[in-house]
Amino acid sequence: MIGTMAVSYGTLFSYAGQFLYPANPTPKAWMFVIDAVRMKAGDSLSFIAPSGARVAIARQNDTGAVSDFIALSSTCPHLGCQVHWEGQNNRFFCPCHNGAFDPQGKATSGPPADAGQSLPQFPLKLENGLLFIEVETQSLAAVHQREPMEQGESDGGVA
Amino acid sequence: MKALRAWFAERIPVSGVQIAELTNEPVPNHLKRWWFCLGGTPAYLFIVQIVTGILLAFYYEASPKTAYDSVRYITEEAAFGWFIRGVHKWAATLMVAAVILHQIRIYFTGAYRKPRELNWMIGCCLLMCTLVIGFTGYSLVYEQLSYWGATVGANISDTVPVVGGFMKKMMLAGDVYNERTLSRFFILHAAVMPTIMIMLLVVHIGLIRLQGITEFRFEDEPADKPRHFNFFPDHLLTELMVGLALMILLCVLATVFPVSMGPRADPLSTPEVIKPEWFFYVTFRWLKLFSGTVAVLSMGFIVFIMFIWPFIDGAIRRYFPKSEASVWIGIVGAALIIGLTVWEAMVEH
Repeated sequence: MIGTMAVSYGTLFSYAGQFLYPANPTPKAWMFVIDAVRMKAGDSLSFIAPSGARVAIARQNDTGAVSDFIALSSTCPHLGCQVHWEGQNNRFFCPCHNGAFDPQGKATSGPPADAGQSLPQFPLKLENGLLFIEVETQSLAAVHQREPMEQGESDGGVA
Repeated sequence: MKALRAWFAERIPVSGVQIAELTNEPVPNHLKRWWFCLGGTPAYLFIVQIVTGILLAFYYEASPKTAYDSVRYITEEAAFGWFIRGVHKWAATLMVAAVILHQIRIYFTGAYRKPRELNWMIGCCLLMCTLVIGFTGYSLVYEQLSYWGATVGANISDTVPVVGGFMKKMMLAGDVYNERTLSRFFILHAAVMPTIMIMLLVVHIGLIRLQGITEFRFEDEPADKPRHFNFFPDHLLTELMVGLALMILLCVLATVFPVSMGPRADPLSTPEVIKPEWFFYVTFRWLKLFSGTVAVLSMGFIVFIMFIWPFIDGAIRRYFPKSEASVWIGIVGAALIIGLTVWEAMVEH
């Protein structure tokens, strides 16, 4: 009898656990950014993701490989707050726990530097000379904050 | 009237004398001193929280699209909404303070020692539950600070080795804060945690009744003074007076320092200055001092030591019977908590 109860209640708890566990990871998609030839080494542009987040994409080299490009996330790797660019200090700064990062996203002080963390980068790929970025397609910010807009397009052109 | 009484007596076979015998246990004399009523204080505030929480739930809508506006409606439009929300917020603050003070009192008077080790551990669980219910409640407002507080809290759990990722996903209902997150916080705050706390409280109070209260005798007490007094009506009256004083205090705080609304949550922008509720200042400062995993593991270790402290203290006293190590460790711990809290309160970053 104890065995039967263990199995039946165990099954119930298992169903409850599966019910509560989030079913799917946040959906992501590859989105077109720009024709790579339109960006020279040293150029940068601002890309608006479907979430409404602005992603700074820069070209650092001219070898023609995807590694020429960098797309820094503004999410602090420490505990997920949004970093701000501090022009006067030439750094990204996280107001939550005082993490600081250089313009390439490498942590220079605070808990992220202690842990050897850098700002995450969005995955990029080049296909037939076209640059694509992988971003989340659903976001809380897009749900309740932003007016409908052209999503997934680069904003402001090449600087 | 007699017939009605007889009707009830037939169906509920308990007499008034039996109820009086059941509840009227002798209470040690030291409980006449007010600072020993700190155990009843959080229990009273917990009842206030349940009542005001039920009232707030009539209007609160746990969705990112509507949460902020529903809280704004409660605060600015609903009749006495500002007062109900104010009492709920201030009772939460006082409840956290009362639980901490109660635990400090228990610690420094050694009331956790054999045979009350298990009740100390249940008290530690109640403290943790109080902090969790404070955290989830703060998140429900969906202001900038509450949104980012919840994000940081979820990411703290992510740094726990092995189970961290699972805990974060269960907390947020996904990889990141999403449309289903707020309803989880609401259910945790309004149903799961109160249920757990009520069950723990029943065991906590039950053990106090079974074991009796630790007795203290003070130097200024005459030797011939009775060592106990009656629960009913003497101690009950003391508790009711504490309750009345608390209610007056809550009304004053809710009126003089009314609750306000911060800016609506913006998932794309963390405020320049971000602070959690005062009872998380220690954790917040600790997280600034050490990298994520180190900070979380060290905090977990400290909480674990606090949890099993009666056994550690027992072992120390077995080898060093006259040791006052627990007092000195307590003083260092309290100084550390106060120091880190004040430090975090004094600085912007």
